[in-house]
Amino acid sequence: MKSALRNAYYFTLSRYSLNPNPSLLHIVPFISTFPSLPSVLSRNHPFRSPLCATLMTGGDSDSPQTSPSLEKQFEKFRVQLEDSGSLRERIRAVVLEIESATRLMQASLLLVHQSKPIPEVLQKANSQINVLKDLYNKLAEVVRECPGQYYRYHGDWRSETQMVVSLLAFMHWLETGNLLMHTEAEEKLGLNNSDFALDLEDYLVGVCFMSNEMPRYVVNQVTAGDYDCPRKVLKFLTDLHAAFRMLNLRNDFLRKKFDSMKYDLRRVEEVYYDVKIRGLATTGDSVGDQGAQKI
Amino acid sequence: MSTHSSLKDAFSSYADHLNALNEKRERIVKASRDVTMNSKKVIFQVHRISKANREEVLEKAEKDLAAVRDQHISRLVKELQGTDFWKLRRAYSPGVQEYVEAATFFKFCQTGTLLNLDEINASLLSLSDPSLEPLQINLLDYLLGLADLTGELMRLAIGRISDGEVEYSERICQFVRDIYRELTLLVPLMDDGSDMKTKMDTMLQSVVKIENACFSVRVRGSEYIPLLGSSDPSSFLVGVSDAEL
Repeated sequence: MKSALRNAYYFTLSRYSLNPNPSLLHIVPFISTFPSLPSVLSRNHPFRSPLCATLMTGGDSDSPQTSPSLEKQFEKFRVQLEDSGSLRERIRAVVLEIESATRLMQASLLLVHQSKPIPEVLQKANSQINVLKDLYNKLAEVVRECPGQYYRYHGDWRSETQMVVSLLAFMHWLETGNLLMHTEAEEKLGLNNSDFALDLEDYLVGVCFMSNEMPRYVVNQVTAGDYDCPRKVLKFLTDLHAAFRMLNLRNDFLRKKFDSMKYDLRRVEEVYYDVKIRGLATTGDSVGDQGAQKI
Repeated sequence: MSTHSSLKDAFSSYADHLNALNEKRERIVKASRDVTMNSKKVIFQVHRISKANREEVLEKAEKDLAAVRDQHISRLVKELQGTDFWKLRRAYSPGVQEYVEAATFFKFCQTGTLLNLDEINASLLSLSDPSLEPLQINLLDYLLGLADLTGELMRLAIGRISDGEVEYSERICQFVRDIYRELTLLVPLMDDGSDMKTKMDTMLQSVVKIENACFSVRVRGSEYIPLLGSSDPSSFLVGVSDAEL
Protein backbone atom coordinates (compact mmCIF):
# COMPACT_ATOMS: atom_id res chain seq x y z
CA MET A 1 0.00 0.00 0.00
CA LYS A 2 2.61 2.47 1.06
CA SER A 3 4.86 2.05 -1.97
CA ALA A 4 1.94 2.55 -4.32
CA LEU A 5 1.23 5.77 -2.53
CA ARG A 6 4.82 6.79 -2.85
CA ASN A 7 4.62 6.19 -6.59
CA ALA A 8 1.55 8.30 -6.77
CA TYR A 9 3.26 10.99 -4.83
CA TYR A 10 6.30 11.05 -7.12
CA PHE A 11 4.09 10.96 -10.14
CA THR A 12 2.05 13.90 -9.00
CA LEU A 13 5.23 15.73 -8.13
CA SER A 14 6.51 15.29 -11.64
CA ARG A 15 3.25 16.49 -13.10
CA TYR A 16 3.27 19.32 -10.70
CA SER A 17 6.64 20.53 -11.86
CA LEU A 18 5.58 20.45 -15.49
CA ASN A 19 2.39 22.24 -14.78
CA PRO A 20 2.88 25.98 -14.39
CA ASN A 21 -0.23 26.23 -12.29
CA PRO A 22 0.69 25.49 -8.72
CA SER A 23 -2.74 24.36 -7.61
CA LEU A 24 -2.57 20.75 -6.59
CA LEU A 25 -6.17 20.22 -7.47
CA HIS A 26 -5.41 20.59 -11.13
CA ILE A 27 -3.39 17.43 -10.96
CA VAL A 28 -6.39 15.29 -10.50
CA PRO A 29 -7.93 15.81 -13.95
CA PHE A 30 -4.50 15.46 -15.54
CA ILE A 31 -4.02 12.11 -13.96
CA SER A 32 -7.26 10.76 -15.26
CA THR A 33 -6.35 11.52 -18.86
CA PHE A 34 -2.81 10.20 -18.67
CA PRO A 35 -2.88 6.83 -20.43
CA SER A 36 0.14 5.08 -18.98
CA LEU A 37 -0.94 5.54 -15.44
CA PRO A 38 -1.94 2.01 -14.46
CA SER A 39 1.38 0.57 -15.58
CA VAL A 40 3.27 3.04 -13.47
CA LEU A 41 1.38 2.39 -10.34
CA SER A 42 -0.54 -0.68 -9.80
CA ARG A 43 0.66 -3.54 -11.90
CA ASN A 44 2.23 -5.59 -9.19
CA HIS A 45 0.19 -4.41 -6.34
CA PRO A 46 -3.05 -6.06 -5.33
CA PHE A 47 -3.85 -2.88 -3.55
CA ARG A 48 -4.37 -0.10 -6.05
CA SER A 49 -3.35 3.47 -5.49
CA PRO A 50 -6.15 5.42 -3.96
CA LEU A 51 -5.44 8.48 -6.06
CA CYS A 52 -5.23 7.03 -9.49
CA ALA A 53 -6.75 3.62 -9.76
CA THR A 54 -10.04 4.82 -8.49
CA LEU A 55 -9.94 7.50 -11.12
CA MET A 56 -9.26 4.89 -13.75
CA THR A 57 -12.30 2.98 -12.68
CA GLY A 58 -13.62 6.47 -13.16
CA GLY A 59 -16.77 6.05 -11.10
CA ASP A 60 -17.66 3.21 -13.45
CA SER A 61 -18.54 5.70 -16.14
CA ASP A 62 -18.90 2.94 -18.73
CA SER A 63 -21.11 0.66 -16.68
CA PRO A 64 -24.79 1.55 -16.05
CA GLN A 65 -25.35 4.04 -13.33
CA THR A 66 -27.77 1.90 -11.39
CA SER A 67 -28.10 -1.85 -11.51
CA PRO A 68 -31.17 -2.74 -13.58
CA SER A 69 -32.63 -5.02 -10.93
CA LEU A 70 -32.45 -2.20 -8.40
CA GLU A 71 -34.29 0.11 -10.74
CA LYS A 72 -36.87 -2.52 -11.57
CA GLN A 73 -37.63 -3.13 -7.92
CA PHE A 74 -38.08 0.55 -7.16
CA GLU A 75 -40.19 1.06 -10.24
CA LYS A 76 -42.46 -1.71 -8.99
CA PHE A 77 -42.60 -0.01 -5.60
CA ARG A 78 -43.54 3.26 -7.20
CA VAL A 79 -46.45 1.65 -9.00
CA GLN A 80 -47.63 -0.06 -5.81
CA LEU A 81 -47.44 3.14 -3.81
CA GLU A 82 -49.25 5.10 -6.48
CA ASP A 83 -52.00 2.50 -6.47
CA SER A 84 -52.36 2.61 -2.72
CA GLY A 85 -52.28 6.41 -2.88
CA SER A 86 -55.14 6.56 -5.34
CA LEU A 87 -57.09 4.03 -3.30
CA ARG A 88 -56.62 6.23 -0.29
CA GLU A 89 -57.95 9.20 -2.25
CA ARG A 90 -61.09 7.28 -3.14
CA ILE A 91 -61.53 6.28 0.47
CA ARG A 92 -61.20 9.89 1.57
CA ALA A 93 -63.83 10.95 -0.95
CA VAL A 94 -66.37 8.52 0.52
CA VAL A 95 -65.40 9.48 4.05
CA LEU A 96 -66.06 13.14 3.25
CA GLU A 97 -69.56 12.17 2.23
CA ILE A 98 -69.96 10.17 5.43
CA GLU A 99 -68.88 13.22 7.34
CA SER A 100 -71.45 15.42 5.69
CA ALA A 101 -74.30 12.95 6.27
CA THR A 102 -73.16 12.72 9.88
CA ARG A 103 -73.27 16.48 10.27
CA LEU A 104 -76.85 16.55 8.99
CA MET A 105 -77.78 13.84 11.46
CA GLN A 106 -76.07 15.70 14.26
CA ALA A 107 -77.79 18.98 13.41
CA SER A 108 -81.18 17.29 13.62
CA LEU A 109 -80.33 15.65 16.90
CA LEU A 110 -79.26 18.92 18.43
CA LEU A 111 -82.93 19.94 18.38
CA VAL A 112 -83.39 17.57 21.27
CA HIS A 113 -81.74 20.11 23.51
CA GLN A 114 -84.35 22.64 22.48
CA SER A 115 -87.08 20.26 23.65
CA LYS A 116 -88.45 19.53 20.26
CA PRO A 117 -90.50 16.36 20.61
CA ILE A 118 -88.34 13.33 20.38
CA PRO A 119 -90.20 11.43 17.65
CA GLU A 120 -89.97 14.45 15.36
CA VAL A 121 -86.26 14.86 15.98
CA LEU A 122 -85.62 11.19 15.48
CA GLN A 123 -87.50 11.06 12.25
CA LYS A 124 -85.23 13.60 10.60
CA ALA A 125 -82.11 11.99 12.00
CA ASN A 126 -83.23 8.50 11.02
CA SER A 127 -83.49 9.51 7.39
CA GLN A 128 -79.74 9.93 7.35
CA ILE A 129 -79.15 6.38 8.51
CA ASN A 130 -79.94 4.97 5.12
CA VAL A 131 -77.60 7.45 3.51
CA LEU A 132 -74.88 6.31 5.88
CA LYS A 133 -75.64 2.68 5.21
CA ASP A 134 -75.09 3.24 1.51
CA LEU A 135 -71.93 5.20 2.08
CA TYR A 136 -70.41 2.57 4.34
CA ASN A 137 -71.18 -0.05 1.78
CA LYS A 138 -69.51 2.08 -0.84
CA LEU A 139 -66.50 2.33 1.46
CA ALA A 140 -66.51 -1.42 1.98
CA GLU A 141 -66.44 -1.94 -1.77
CA VAL A 142 -63.43 0.30 -2.22
CA VAL A 143 -61.53 -1.35 0.60
CA ARG A 144 -62.44 -4.78 -0.71
CA GLU A 145 -60.10 -4.10 -3.62
CA CYS A 146 -57.14 -4.70 -1.35
CA PRO A 147 -58.17 -7.59 0.87
CA GLY A 148 -56.63 -7.78 4.31
CA GLN A 149 -55.71 -4.11 4.34
CA TYR A 150 -58.68 -2.75 6.31
CA TYR A 151 -56.38 -1.61 9.06
CA ARG A 152 -53.91 -0.06 6.67
CA TYR A 153 -56.46 2.60 5.82
CA HIS A 154 -58.50 2.42 9.00
CA GLY A 155 -57.19 5.77 10.26
CA ASP A 156 -58.96 7.44 7.37
CA TRP A 157 -62.40 6.58 8.67
CA ARG A 158 -61.78 5.99 12.34
CA SER A 159 -62.85 9.28 13.88
CA GLU A 160 -65.79 9.71 11.52
CA THR A 161 -67.02 6.24 12.44
CA GLN A 162 -66.69 6.96 16.14
CA MET A 163 -68.90 10.01 15.66
CA VAL A 164 -71.44 8.00 13.68
CA VAL A 165 -71.63 5.39 16.45
CA SER A 166 -72.11 8.05 19.10
CA LEU A 167 -75.04 9.56 17.22
CA LEU A 168 -76.62 6.18 16.51
CA ALA A 169 -76.25 5.18 20.14
CA PHE A 170 -77.80 8.44 21.35
CA MET A 171 -80.72 8.02 18.99
CA HIS A 172 -81.20 4.44 20.11
CA TRP A 173 -81.23 5.53 23.71
CA LEU A 174 -83.79 8.25 23.00
CA GLU A 175 -85.98 5.65 21.31
CA THR A 176 -85.59 2.75 23.71
CA GLY A 177 -83.68 3.84 26.79
CA ASN A 178 -81.16 1.09 26.06
CA LEU A 179 -77.57 0.94 24.93
CA LEU A 180 -77.04 0.19 21.26
CA MET A 181 -74.88 -2.94 21.16
CA HIS A 182 -71.89 -3.45 18.91
CA THR A 183 -73.68 -5.92 16.67
CA GLU A 184 -76.78 -3.72 16.53
CA ALA A 185 -74.65 -0.79 15.43
CA GLU A 186 -73.12 -2.93 12.72
CA GLU A 187 -76.57 -3.91 11.55
CA LYS A 188 -77.75 -0.34 11.36
CA LEU A 189 -74.84 0.46 9.07
CA GLY A 190 -75.33 -2.66 6.98
CA LEU A 191 -71.97 -4.03 8.02
CA ASN A 192 -73.02 -7.14 9.89
CA ASN A 193 -72.41 -9.61 7.11
CA SER A 194 -69.51 -7.81 5.67
CA ASP A 195 -65.79 -8.35 5.72
CA PHE A 196 -65.72 -4.63 6.44
CA ALA A 197 -66.50 -4.70 10.14
CA LEU A 198 -67.21 -2.05 12.72
CA ASP A 199 -64.03 -2.00 14.78
CA LEU A 200 -64.84 -2.77 18.41
CA GLU A 201 -62.70 0.04 19.78
CA ASP A 202 -64.33 2.53 17.43
CA TYR A 203 -67.70 1.37 18.74
CA LEU A 204 -66.60 1.76 22.37
CA VAL A 205 -65.17 5.24 21.78
CA GLY A 206 -68.42 6.18 20.05
CA VAL A 207 -70.35 5.06 23.13
CA CYS A 208 -68.13 7.26 25.32
CA PHE A 209 -68.82 10.23 23.04
CA MET A 210 -72.51 9.54 23.48
CA SER A 211 -72.15 9.62 27.25
CA ASN A 212 -70.46 13.01 26.91
CA GLU A 213 -73.76 14.33 25.53
CA MET A 214 -75.83 13.14 28.48
CA PRO A 215 -75.11 15.85 31.05
CA ARG A 216 -76.09 18.58 28.63
CA TYR A 217 -79.22 16.71 27.64
CA VAL A 218 -80.27 16.17 31.22
CA VAL A 219 -79.75 19.81 32.17
CA ASN A 220 -81.84 21.04 29.29
CA GLN A 221 -84.58 18.49 29.91
CA VAL A 222 -84.90 19.59 33.51
CA THR A 223 -85.02 23.21 32.45
CA ALA A 224 -87.86 22.30 30.13
CA GLY A 225 -89.72 20.64 32.99
CA ASP A 226 -88.91 16.94 32.55
CA TYR A 227 -87.94 16.13 36.12
CA ASP A 228 -87.90 12.39 35.62
CA CYS A 229 -85.14 12.48 33.07
CA PRO A 230 -82.23 12.71 35.54
CA ARG A 231 -83.23 9.51 37.27
CA LYS A 232 -83.43 7.58 34.02
CA VAL A 233 -80.16 8.97 32.70
CA LEU A 234 -78.42 8.35 35.99
CA LYS A 235 -79.42 4.72 36.03
CA PHE A 236 -78.37 4.30 32.42
CA LEU A 237 -75.00 5.94 32.87
CA THR A 238 -74.31 4.10 36.10
CA ASP A 239 -74.96 0.77 34.41
CA LEU A 240 -72.91 1.83 31.41
CA HIS A 241 -69.99 2.94 33.51
CA ALA A 242 -70.11 -0.32 35.47
CA ALA A 243 -70.08 -2.30 32.24
CA PHE A 244 -67.10 -0.34 30.97
CA ARG A 245 -65.28 -1.08 34.21
CA MET A 246 -65.23 -4.72 33.12
CA LEU A 247 -62.84 -3.80 30.34
CA ASN A 248 -59.11 -3.92 30.90
CA LEU A 249 -58.14 -0.79 29.11
CA ARG A 250 -54.58 0.20 28.32
CA ASN A 251 -53.47 3.80 28.51
CA ASP A 252 -54.79 4.81 25.14
CA PHE A 253 -57.43 7.05 23.61
CA LEU A 254 -60.27 4.73 24.60
CA ARG A 255 -59.05 4.79 28.18
CA LYS A 256 -59.06 8.58 28.20
CA LYS A 257 -62.59 8.65 26.85
CA PHE A 258 -63.70 6.17 29.46
CA ASP A 259 -62.17 8.33 32.15
CA SER A 260 -64.20 11.28 30.91
CA MET A 261 -67.36 9.20 31.36
CA LYS A 262 -66.76 9.45 35.10
CA TYR A 263 -67.22 13.20 34.90
CA ASP A 264 -70.38 12.82 32.83
CA LEU A 265 -71.71 10.50 35.52
CA ARG A 266 -70.83 12.90 38.27
CA ARG A 267 -72.50 15.82 36.49
CA VAL A 268 -75.69 13.82 35.99
CA GLU A 269 -75.61 12.81 39.66
CA GLU A 270 -75.47 16.47 40.60
CA VAL A 271 -78.46 17.28 38.45
CA TYR A 272 -80.36 14.34 39.87
CA TYR A 273 -79.54 15.45 43.39
CA ASP A 274 -80.60 19.04 42.64
CA VAL A 275 -83.93 17.83 41.38
CA LYS A 276 -84.50 15.28 44.12
CA ILE A 277 -83.80 17.41 47.17
CA ARG A 278 -86.14 20.06 45.89
CA GLY A 279 -88.81 17.44 45.58
CA LEU A 280 -89.19 18.15 41.94
CA ALA A 281 -89.02 14.57 40.79
CA THR A 282 -92.54 13.17 40.64
CA THR A 283 -92.01 9.47 39.98
CA GLY A 284 -89.80 6.69 41.23
CA ASP A 285 -88.27 7.29 44.62
CA SER A 286 -89.14 10.92 44.91
CA VAL A 287 -89.17 12.26 48.42
CA GLY A 288 -91.35 15.33 48.44
CA ASP A 289 -94.89 16.04 47.25
CA GLN A 290 -95.73 17.17 43.81
CA GLY A 291 -94.94 20.75 43.18
CA ALA A 292 -92.04 22.74 44.44
CA GLN A 293 -91.81 22.45 48.19
CA LYS A 294 -89.20 24.73 49.56
CA ILE A 295 -87.17 22.86 52.14
CA MET B 1 -84.32 0.12 30.68
CA SER B 2 -81.25 -1.72 29.50
CA THR B 3 -81.33 -5.25 30.68
CA HIS B 4 -78.57 -5.39 33.17
CA SER B 5 -77.49 -8.89 32.30
CA SER B 6 -77.40 -8.40 28.55
CA LEU B 7 -75.24 -5.33 29.06
CA LYS B 8 -72.95 -7.35 31.29
CA ASP B 9 -72.79 -10.23 28.84
CA ALA B 10 -72.02 -7.96 25.94
CA PHE B 11 -69.27 -6.15 27.76
CA SER B 12 -67.87 -9.37 29.04
CA SER B 13 -67.38 -10.51 25.47
CA TYR B 14 -65.93 -7.10 24.54
CA ALA B 15 -63.50 -7.51 27.43
CA ASP B 16 -62.44 -10.93 26.16
CA HIS B 17 -61.85 -9.58 22.69
CA LEU B 18 -59.77 -6.65 23.93
CA ASN B 19 -57.80 -8.82 26.34
CA ALA B 20 -56.88 -11.25 23.58
CA LEU B 21 -55.85 -8.37 21.35
CA ASN B 22 -53.72 -6.70 24.00
CA GLU B 23 -52.03 -9.91 25.05
CA LYS B 24 -51.21 -10.66 21.43
CA ARG B 25 -49.85 -7.17 21.05
CA GLU B 26 -47.63 -7.70 24.09
CA ARG B 27 -46.21 -10.92 22.68
CA ILE B 28 -45.53 -9.22 19.37
CA VAL B 29 -43.75 -6.31 21.03
CA LYS B 30 -41.54 -8.71 22.94
CA ALA B 31 -40.68 -10.69 19.83
CA SER B 32 -40.03 -7.46 17.95
CA ARG B 33 -37.62 -6.30 20.64
CA ASP B 34 -35.70 -9.55 20.39
CA VAL B 35 -35.58 -9.23 16.62
CA THR B 36 -34.21 -5.71 17.00
CA MET B 37 -31.55 -6.68 19.51
CA ASN B 38 -30.31 -9.66 17.60
CA SER B 39 -30.38 -7.87 14.26
CA LYS B 40 -28.21 -5.15 15.76
CA LYS B 41 -25.75 -7.86 16.77
CA VAL B 42 -25.57 -9.01 13.16
CA ILE B 43 -24.86 -5.46 12.07
CA PHE B 44 -22.06 -5.07 14.60
CA GLN B 45 -20.65 -8.37 13.46
CA VAL B 46 -20.60 -7.30 9.82
CA HIS B 47 -18.90 -4.04 10.73
CA ARG B 48 -15.90 -6.03 11.92
CA ILE B 49 -15.22 -6.90 8.32
CA SER B 50 -11.85 -6.25 6.76
CA LYS B 51 -9.84 -7.77 3.92
CA ALA B 52 -8.26 -10.21 6.29
CA ASN B 53 -11.31 -11.68 7.99
CA ARG B 54 -13.97 -11.25 5.34
CA GLU B 55 -14.96 -14.87 4.92
CA GLU B 56 -15.08 -15.59 8.61
CA VAL B 57 -17.08 -12.48 9.47
CA LEU B 58 -19.62 -13.09 6.75
CA GLU B 59 -20.01 -16.72 7.68
CA LYS B 60 -20.81 -15.88 11.26
CA ALA B 61 -23.13 -13.06 10.24
CA GLU B 62 -25.05 -15.37 7.96
CA LYS B 63 -25.53 -17.84 10.78
CA ASP B 64 -26.64 -15.13 13.17
CA LEU B 65 -29.09 -13.74 10.65
CA ALA B 66 -30.61 -17.17 10.17
CA ALA B 67 -30.92 -17.46 13.93
CA VAL B 68 -32.83 -14.17 14.10
CA ARG B 69 -35.19 -15.56 11.50
CA ASP B 70 -35.65 -18.97 13.04
CA GLN B 71 -35.82 -18.00 16.69
CA HIS B 72 -37.47 -14.60 16.76
CA ILE B 73 -39.15 -13.69 13.52
CA SER B 74 -40.84 -17.06 13.65
CA ARG B 75 -42.62 -15.91 16.80
CA LEU B 76 -44.24 -13.16 14.76
CA VAL B 77 -45.59 -15.56 12.18
CA LYS B 78 -47.99 -17.22 14.54
CA GLU B 79 -49.34 -13.99 15.91
CA LEU B 80 -49.80 -12.13 12.69
CA GLN B 81 -52.61 -13.78 10.83
CA GLY B 82 -55.32 -12.09 8.78
CA THR B 83 -56.04 -8.51 9.66
CA ASP B 84 -53.48 -8.52 12.50
CA PHE B 85 -50.77 -7.86 9.98
CA TRP B 86 -51.81 -4.26 9.48
CA LYS B 87 -53.70 -3.76 12.72
CA LEU B 88 -50.68 -4.52 14.87
CA ARG B 89 -48.04 -3.13 12.57
CA ARG B 90 -46.83 -0.55 15.03
CA ALA B 91 -46.00 -3.33 17.47
CA TYR B 92 -43.60 -5.19 15.21
CA SER B 93 -42.49 -2.60 12.66
CA PRO B 94 -39.34 -1.47 14.48
CA GLY B 95 -38.09 -5.04 14.74
CA VAL B 96 -38.80 -5.79 11.12
CA GLN B 97 -37.06 -2.60 10.02
CA GLU B 98 -33.98 -3.55 11.99
CA TYR B 99 -34.03 -7.02 10.46
CA VAL B 100 -34.27 -5.55 6.96
CA GLU B 101 -31.34 -3.29 7.82
CA ALA B 102 -29.25 -6.25 8.99
CA ALA B 103 -30.17 -8.52 6.09
CA THR B 104 -29.52 -5.90 3.41
CA PHE B 105 -26.27 -4.88 5.09
CA PHE B 106 -25.07 -8.44 5.11
CA LYS B 107 -26.07 -8.97 1.48
CA PHE B 108 -24.24 -5.85 0.37
CA CYS B 109 -21.05 -6.90 2.08
CA GLN B 110 -21.37 -10.34 0.61
CA THR B 111 -22.21 -9.46 -3.01
CA GLY B 112 -22.29 -5.69 -3.39
CA THR B 113 -25.96 -5.79 -4.38
CA LEU B 114 -29.23 -4.85 -2.78
CA LEU B 115 -31.31 -7.58 -1.22
CA ASN B 116 -34.77 -7.29 -2.77
CA LEU B 117 -37.99 -7.32 -0.84
CA ASP B 118 -39.05 -10.41 -2.75
CA GLU B 119 -35.84 -12.17 -1.79
CA ILE B 120 -36.26 -11.35 1.89
CA ASN B 121 -39.84 -12.52 1.84
CA ALA B 122 -38.90 -15.73 0.07
CA SER B 123 -36.49 -16.46 2.89
CA LEU B 124 -39.31 -16.09 5.42
CA LEU B 125 -41.66 -18.53 3.73
CA SER B 126 -40.07 -21.51 5.40
CA LEU B 127 -40.90 -20.13 8.85
CA SER B 128 -44.56 -20.89 8.70
CA ASP B 129 -46.33 -24.07 8.00
CA PRO B 130 -48.55 -24.20 4.95
CA SER B 131 -51.71 -23.89 7.02
CA LEU B 132 -50.68 -20.45 8.23
CA GLU B 133 -50.43 -17.24 6.31
CA PRO B 134 -46.74 -16.57 5.73
CA LEU B 135 -45.16 -13.51 7.24
CA GLN B 136 -44.38 -11.14 4.45
CA ILE B 137 -42.61 -7.88 5.11
CA ASN B 138 -44.50 -5.02 3.61
CA LEU B 139 -43.14 -2.37 1.32
CA LEU B 140 -43.20 0.40 3.92
CA ASP B 141 -41.16 -1.46 6.52
CA TYR B 142 -38.71 -2.52 3.83
CA LEU B 143 -38.15 1.07 2.72
CA LEU B 144 -37.79 2.28 6.29
CA GLY B 145 -35.21 -0.43 6.95
CA LEU B 146 -33.41 0.51 3.77
CA ALA B 147 -33.14 4.09 4.94
CA ASP B 148 -31.43 2.90 8.11
CA LEU B 149 -29.13 0.69 6.05
CA THR B 150 -27.57 3.74 4.47
CA GLY B 151 -26.41 4.94 7.88
CA GLU B 152 -24.58 1.67 8.46
CA LEU B 153 -23.11 1.81 4.97
CA MET B 154 -21.77 5.25 5.74
CA ARG B 155 -20.03 3.88 8.81
CA LEU B 156 -18.69 1.01 6.77
CA ALA B 157 -17.39 3.34 4.07
CA ILE B 158 -15.56 5.55 6.55
CA GLY B 159 -14.11 2.50 8.21
CA ARG B 160 -12.93 1.03 4.93
CA ILE B 161 -11.29 4.29 3.93
CA SER B 162 -9.32 4.24 7.17
CA ASP B 163 -8.14 0.79 6.20
CA GLY B 164 -7.11 2.07 2.83
CA GLU B 165 -9.91 0.39 0.87
CA VAL B 166 -10.86 3.57 -0.93
CA GLU B 167 -12.23 1.90 -4.02
CA TYR B 168 -14.59 -0.16 -1.94
CA SER B 169 -15.79 2.99 -0.24
CA GLU B 170 -16.43 4.60 -3.58
CA ARG B 171 -18.56 1.63 -4.52
CA ILE B 172 -20.47 2.05 -1.30
CA CYS B 173 -20.86 5.72 -2.13
CA GLN B 174 -22.34 4.93 -5.50
CA PHE B 175 -24.69 2.37 -3.99
CA VAL B 176 -25.95 4.75 -1.33
CA ARG B 177 -26.40 7.46 -3.94
CA ASP B 178 -28.55 5.09 -6.01
CA ILE B 179 -30.72 4.21 -3.06
CA TYR B 180 -31.14 7.84 -2.12
CA ARG B 181 -32.11 8.76 -5.64
CA GLU B 182 -34.66 5.97 -5.93
CA LEU B 183 -36.15 6.76 -2.57
CA THR B 184 -36.72 10.43 -3.33
CA LEU B 185 -39.33 9.32 -5.84
CA LEU B 186 -41.08 7.08 -3.35
CA VAL B 187 -41.11 9.07 -0.15
CA PRO B 188 -43.93 11.45 -1.13
CA LEU B 189 -46.09 8.45 -1.97
CA MET B 190 -45.60 6.60 1.29
CA ASP B 191 -48.41 6.11 3.78
CA ASP B 192 -46.98 7.66 6.90
CA GLY B 193 -44.42 9.81 5.20
CA SER B 194 -43.19 11.81 8.13
CA ASP B 195 -40.86 9.11 9.51
CA MET B 196 -39.39 8.60 6.13
CA LYS B 197 -38.83 12.29 5.50
CA THR B 198 -36.63 12.55 8.57
CA LYS B 199 -34.74 9.48 7.48
CA MET B 200 -34.18 11.00 4.05
CA ASP B 201 -32.48 14.00 5.63
CA THR B 202 -30.21 11.73 7.61
CA MET B 203 -29.56 9.68 4.49
CA LEU B 204 -28.43 12.69 2.54
CA GLN B 205 -26.06 13.54 5.35
CA SER B 206 -24.67 10.02 5.19
CA VAL B 207 -24.14 10.28 1.44
CA VAL B 208 -22.37 13.60 1.85
CA LYS B 209 -20.18 12.20 4.62
CA ILE B 210 -19.03 9.38 2.39
CA GLU B 211 -18.48 11.74 -0.52
CA ASN B 212 -16.45 14.09 1.66
CA ALA B 213 -14.35 11.25 2.97
CA CYS B 214 -13.57 10.04 -0.55
CA PHE B 215 -12.82 13.60 -1.55
CA SER B 216 -10.46 14.05 1.38
CA VAL B 217 -8.52 10.99 0.47
CA ARG B 218 -8.16 12.07 -3.11
CA VAL B 219 -7.22 15.63 -2.46
CA ARG B 220 -5.04 15.12 0.53
CA GLY B 221 -3.73 11.67 -0.36
CA SER B 222 -0.42 12.97 -1.60
CA GLU B 223 -0.08 15.19 1.44
CA TYR B 224 -0.36 12.23 3.71
CA ILE B 225 3.06 10.91 2.85
CA PRO B 226 4.99 13.81 4.38
CA LEU B 227 2.68 13.61 7.38
CA LEU B 228 4.35 10.49 8.63
CA GLY B 229 2.44 9.09 11.56
CA SER B 230 0.15 12.04 11.29
CA SER B 231 -2.08 12.65 14.22
CA ASP B 232 -4.49 14.53 12.01
CA PRO B 233 -7.64 12.53 12.66
CA SER B 234 -8.75 12.75 9.06
CA SER B 235 -5.54 11.23 7.85
CA PHE B 236 -5.80 7.59 7.22
CA LEU B 237 -2.17 7.23 8.10
CA VAL B 238 -2.91 8.28 11.63
CA GLY B 239 -0.65 6.45 13.96
CA VAL B 240 1.52 4.96 11.23
CA SER B 241 5.18 5.13 12.07
CA ASP B 242 7.92 6.14 9.65
CA ALA B 243 9.29 2.63 9.57
CA GLU B 244 6.18 1.20 7.99
CA LEU B 245 6.45 3.61 5.10
